[in-house]
Amino acid sequence: MKLNYSLISRRKFLNTLFGGSLIAFFSGAIIPLVKFAFPTLGKEPDFVVLDKKDFTAIPRNSAKAFAWGGVLGLYLKKDDGSVAALKGVCTHMECNVAYRPAEKKFYCACHKGWYDETGKNIAGPPPKPLEFFEIMEKGEKLIIARKGAKVDLAKV
Amino acid sequence: MKYFIRILFAALTILSFSFLAFAEEKIPVFPEKPVEVYTIYASLAVFWFAIIGLIVVIKMKLNEIERIQKLGIDKEDPHAHRLE
Amino acid sequence: MIWPKFKDWIDERYDIAGLKRLAKRKLIPQHRYDFLYYTGGITLFLFILQFITGMLLAFYYIPHIDFAYESIIDIVTKINMGWFFRSLHHWGAQLCIVFVFIHLFGTLLVKSYRKPREFLWVTGFILLVISIFFGLSGYLLLWDERAFAAVRVATGGAGALPFVGSFIKIFLRGGVDVTGDTLTRFYAFHVSILPVLSLLLIGIHLLLVQYHGMSTPVSLEKNQHKEEPFFPNVFYKDMMIWLVVLGVVVTLAILLPPEIGKKANALAAPPEGIKPEWYFLFMLETLKFFPGTILGFNGETIAILCVSIGIFFFFLIPFLDRKSNRNERSPVFTVIAVVYILYFITMTLVGFFN
Repeated sequence: MKLNYSLISRRKFLNTLFGGSLIAFFSGAIIPLVKFAFPTLGKEPDFVVLDKKDFTAIPRNSAKAFAWGGVLGLYLKKDDGSVAALKGVCTHMECNVAYRPAEKKFYCACHKGWYDETGKNIAGPPPKPLEFFEIMEKGEKLIIARKGAKVDLAKV
Repeated sequence: MKYFIRILFAALTILSFSFLAFAEEKIPVFPEKPVEVYTIYASLAVFWFAIIGLIVVIKMKLNEIERIQKLGIDKEDPHAHRLE
Repeated sequence: MIWPKFKDWIDERYDIAGLKRLAKRKLIPQHRYDFLYYTGGITLFLFILQFITGMLLAFYYIPHIDFAYESIIDIVTKINMGWFFRSLHHWGAQLCIVFVFIHLFGTLLVKSYRKPREFLWVTGFILLVISIFFGLSGYLLLWDERAFAAVRVATGGAGALPFVGSFIKIFLRGGVDVTGDTLTRFYAFHVSILPVLSLLLIGIHLLLVQYHGMSTPVSLEKNQHKEEPFFPNVFYKDMMIWLVVLGVVVTLAILLPPEIGKKANALAAPPEGIKPEWYFLFMLETLKFFPGTILGFNGETIAILCVSIGIFFFFLIPFLDRKSNRNERSPVFTVIAVVYILYFITMTLVGFFN
């Protein structure tokens, strides 16, 4: 069935086409700008490399801090001489935790959260245990890696 | 003879690896992964299609405006009565 | 229904109708050289593009000699689309300066600098100097061997001017030699001082264009009858041309991303075959003509003086061209214009292929 009149005026057609193309064009152009403005740097590393001699000689039942990207990492030597490495960031509101040798627990001062030696959250608001890392050694170097991260020892 | 071949082999190995000493690390000013390279060139093509499309629409608008202007009906009447 | 309501809301507060009437009065003459009218707009568009890409790059650039080079490598390798915006900023700058020169030589040839538009020429000339300084200061921020050597030569050349030379050199360098202080200073120029100055001057330049209207070349003035309204006709034509220019810059940015050389080392020799940016080549080649000493005077000083006089004369053309001011044809100054243009192009090409 042929119409004798147009359902849309020429002006409306052209203006809609124009406005629609402009919106499409600019949204396509804005996306790279927005992607650029949100940084990719500052993500946590997959592993860090430390000097063995700075860490292996610490006394038993003490913890030493190291840099895990931009946040706190703790190297812990327990009473029996075994070592562990963990992220010293509380799972509640991301404050730094500290090792209390007297109680052999980790304490978060912000909201009085407690974790035991294995990092399990035992008291206070923290909802999850502390994140532990894997420790590897290569010559004079100590490599702390995220669990499951692939570390090419040859390239370290 | 045997020693000559070994010395020759050693010399060639050293020579071929010495070029690595002069190879400077070229900083990648353009992404290297093929999937990214492909995406970039495809986006460039889409971008040009978008530009050409926009130019076509603008030209259509321009033609219409010039047609109206030639007819002399492009002026708005400021004293026209509103329908309400 | 929303759009008319919105229009009414604005109308009840501001005299949009008055502005609209003013805007509709802007008319663009149509004649065989009217393509030149678009060169200024293209330059403006590229300037705006540089502002946007520059602001983005400033998010991640670190202006300290120990971090500048590395931060640019981070931008290019680690940030999302970082390589693209750096490349876009580079090519935007190159094209912007190309069109600044096209716009400059265009106005020179059709003599739109004549009375009453002398101030447009003056502000435009200052904008040319600002654009070139934008290029030089931006170039150093990479802190690679080429940029370091180029800035040393450029500021050293400025230092060859008599009396004021050493003051200019020390002011630009932030010291006697090109150091970290120079980087800080050039960053201040590039990101703060020059943008503010250029915004001011572009504002004045554009306002004056609206005030005076578009000029028609002397030879065509008598037969000039056709013109078209800026809104909407020429505005849409501008938009189409700007879209093409955008496409060209983006294509160049993707197909020819600029390389990053080795980090600058103040104690190392400059790299082989080093040359300044192309818009300095004509000056470099001119300086090469002059011998070491002339009549007992330092050849370099004489050379810089001669170049300065040439540029100063160029700046004074609107005030010296009496015939144009009377709206008469001025063939002498057309010849002078052609000589300047040919000299610039030839010397640039000579420097390019040397």
